[in-house]
Amino acid sequence: MASTIDFRTHVDQSCRYSEEFVNIYYDCMDKKRRNLTRLYLDKATLVWNGNNVSGQDALGEFFESLPSSEFQVHTLDCQPVHEQATQGQTTLLVVTAGTVKFDGSKQRYFNQNFLLTAQASPNSDQPVWKIASDCFRFQDWAS
Amino acid sequence: MATADDSRFYSEHDDRVGPKHRRKGRGPFRAPLYSDQISKQRHRGGHGGGGGGAGPRSRFEDDDGDIAMTDDLHDGGSQRRFAPYGRPQNRRNGRRGGKDARGDGGNNRGRGNRGGGGGSADGVDGGGGRKNWFKMMIPHGKKYEKQWLLSSLQNICAVPFQAIQYHTEGNRVQFYIDDSSTAYALVKVSRKITDKDGYKIAVLMNPCQPPSLPQQDLKLEDLEHLKQCMSKRFDGSQQALDLNNIRVDPDLASLNIEVALSRKNSMQAVIKIIEDNIPELVCLNLSNNRLYKLDDLADLVAKVPNLKILNLSHNDIRSERELDKLKGLRLVELSLQRNPLCDHFKDQADYISAIRERFPRLLKLDGHDLPPPIGFDLEVAPAVLPPCKPSYFGSEELKGLITCFLQQYYTIYDSANRQLLLDAYHDGATFSLIVPFSTQNPSRSSLGEYMKDSRNIKRVKDSTTRFRLLKHTRLNVVAFLNELPKTQHDIASFNVDVNTYTGSLLSFTVSGVFKEVDGTSRDSYRAFSRVFIAVSPGNGSMCIVNDEMFVRNATTEEIRRAFVAPAPTPSSSPVPTLSATQQEMLSAFSQQSGMNLEWSQKCLQDNDWNFERAGQIFTDLKVQGKIPDIAFIK
Repeated sequence: MASTIDFRTHVDQSCRYSEEFVNIYYDCMDKKRRNLTRLYLDKATLVWNGNNVSGQDALGEFFESLPSSEFQVHTLDCQPVHEQATQGQTTLLVVTAGTVKFDGSKQRYFNQNFLLTAQASPNSDQPVWKIASDCFRFQDWAS
Repeated sequence: MATADDSRFYSEHDDRVGPKHRRKGRGPFRAPLYSDQISKQRHRGGHGGGGGGAGPRSRFEDDDGDIAMTDDLHDGGSQRRFAPYGRPQNRRNGRRGGKDARGDGGNNRGRGNRGGGGGSADGVDGGGGRKNWFKMMIPHGKKYEKQWLLSSLQNICAVPFQAIQYHTEGNRVQFYIDDSSTAYALVKVSRKITDKDGYKIAVLMNPCQPPSLPQQDLKLEDLEHLKQCMSKRFDGSQQALDLNNIRVDPDLASLNIEVALSRKNSMQAVIKIIEDNIPELVCLNLSNNRLYKLDDLADLVAKVPNLKILNLSHNDIRSERELDKLKGLRLVELSLQRNPLCDHFKDQADYISAIRERFPRLLKLDGHDLPPPIGFDLEVAPAVLPPCKPSYFGSEELKGLITCFLQQYYTIYDSANRQLLLDAYHDGATFSLIVPFSTQNPSRSSLGEYMKDSRNIKRVKDSTTRFRLLKHTRLNVVAFLNELPKTQHDIASFNVDVNTYTGSLLSFTVSGVFKEVDGTSRDSYRAFSRVFIAVSPGNGSMCIVNDEMFVRNATTEEIRRAFVAPAPTPSSSPVPTLSATQQEMLSAFSQQSGMNLEWSQKCLQDNDWNFERAGQIFTDLKVQGKIPDIAFIK
């Protein structure tokens, strides 16, 4: 019984964290992209429409190369990731979908998901969420 | 630009665009304005007749003033010769030199042309015969529905009439009547109809030139003459075409060909000839052509992309907004002088900036040099999106593992009973589902069964509901999946991205298309994107701990492509996990055939794992070209 309550609390918190994360992430993507890589782990991986980008430097370069963007998130879901998969490290799965308008392209629909892990922060006593992996695709990528 | 020489002209233009009440000070012999007339008619309750300064004669002159304007532009000669309407001609000549030459006719000239009024006095309309033409005017008629207005008039008019070229001008309705008795009969019903607001509808008449029929295409031989005329006016060394005052080109006039560029058909014919013969045109002179709108000229932007110098001077363009239609032309020189729009600006700087806003590269306006535009030395190689690629697996090993997993998973998922998926999930697995919320598409039922379970926490704010919609533990997850609509997935549509692979965790995203095969939404095509997080309990199998599925309606394009490649037939009995022998056979078959594991397995399964027969069938099908390329994509 106790574990069920724990799980409920875990779920509630993960929803709050996801909502906060999504606000910060897409705001940063659209308006402060220079800071975006700070949200990623040093060894984070991104699979962007099938293009694999790994590590903060490569990510920084990649995001710099993207045209400016306007994201709108229409749907958001999240799940606490089972601890057996993460060896006890608190991890969240965040799943989003919505529209994005990249400068020079038409507005397109996208799906994206993140794995966030809680990390000790060098700047603070409290842990911070970092993106361990990020997977992005246009819904119409094939056309 | 208001040079001393132009001052008189400009002040006249001022008069035209100025407030109408100023005109009331005109003398009785001035061409009266319709607006004056209307207000008189309304207030006095009179009509037609001969009262005041607005008698028929002066109205006659009114249209006449229209033609007088052309004299200003030195094009009168041939028209006078050809015009069959001697009296107006004489009257006009008698008035030459008077300031009336500008008259109100100028005010109406452009639009009148469209209606076929003024400019057609040159005999081309001879078909109009000797009929008496009258322009009928209904002040404030614009607010009425045409059908209602005409039938109301017809109901009480003594004779049947046909309203020719019904159109509105300002607030008033105008049309033409081609005989005087009908026109007078119509005037008799003036102020006999009361509209719903209690306003009595006045009908005025005015003798006029025969209207020319609009949209009359130039005949083929006319086009040939026009082309010859244009070639005479073309200077190949400068890539310059001079169509100044082409309405009265002597060659065309002698052939009775009327090219009025203010009319759609003429302008289109001219642009077509340019497009077909001199698309590289750099310089175009359209001055003195009575242009009042530029809609038909807008085609230049696409068809004459090299155009750098454009002369629109001495026309009747009233608003700089007309120039918006030419936006996109990379003009370096533009002439607009002697267009009413020039008078709309409080000063030269205002004028220049309004024009340059439309044509930022402009260096010369009305013959005056402009300060060259100063740009920015910014590297303007626009950022482009990286190309989209298909599946990213990261390694062949993962690809084999995931492909095999998906094959088995969806075989069961598409079967009648999803209970067998229990083996695929971890005891503490979680599952949730989201569907997009679209405000454009309020018919929530379009995603049918999925909508009610959508855990979109952008919308679902209540924490109890959020918790309820997250299915937790293996039994709950599979029980829930079992309730979802029965499906058939198009495995060939699948795309897989491996997000993360560590020793203990494999996370990947699958997207693709399926259709529902049962229930109310039978044959609905959906697209999905699904994240699986799995742990590997060893021995190469996978155990799902997290499963998140996004479902939406498939696009037309996705539907078109779906199930094109022959997909494995959904079988009601789940395919058992491959035995070690079968695994061995599979990898050998894949190696020898060059097909990927998925297709190799299908081929082997279809042949009851008879390696030789599968090989024979494969060779035969390959020779016949019946195996899709996708089978060879590893």
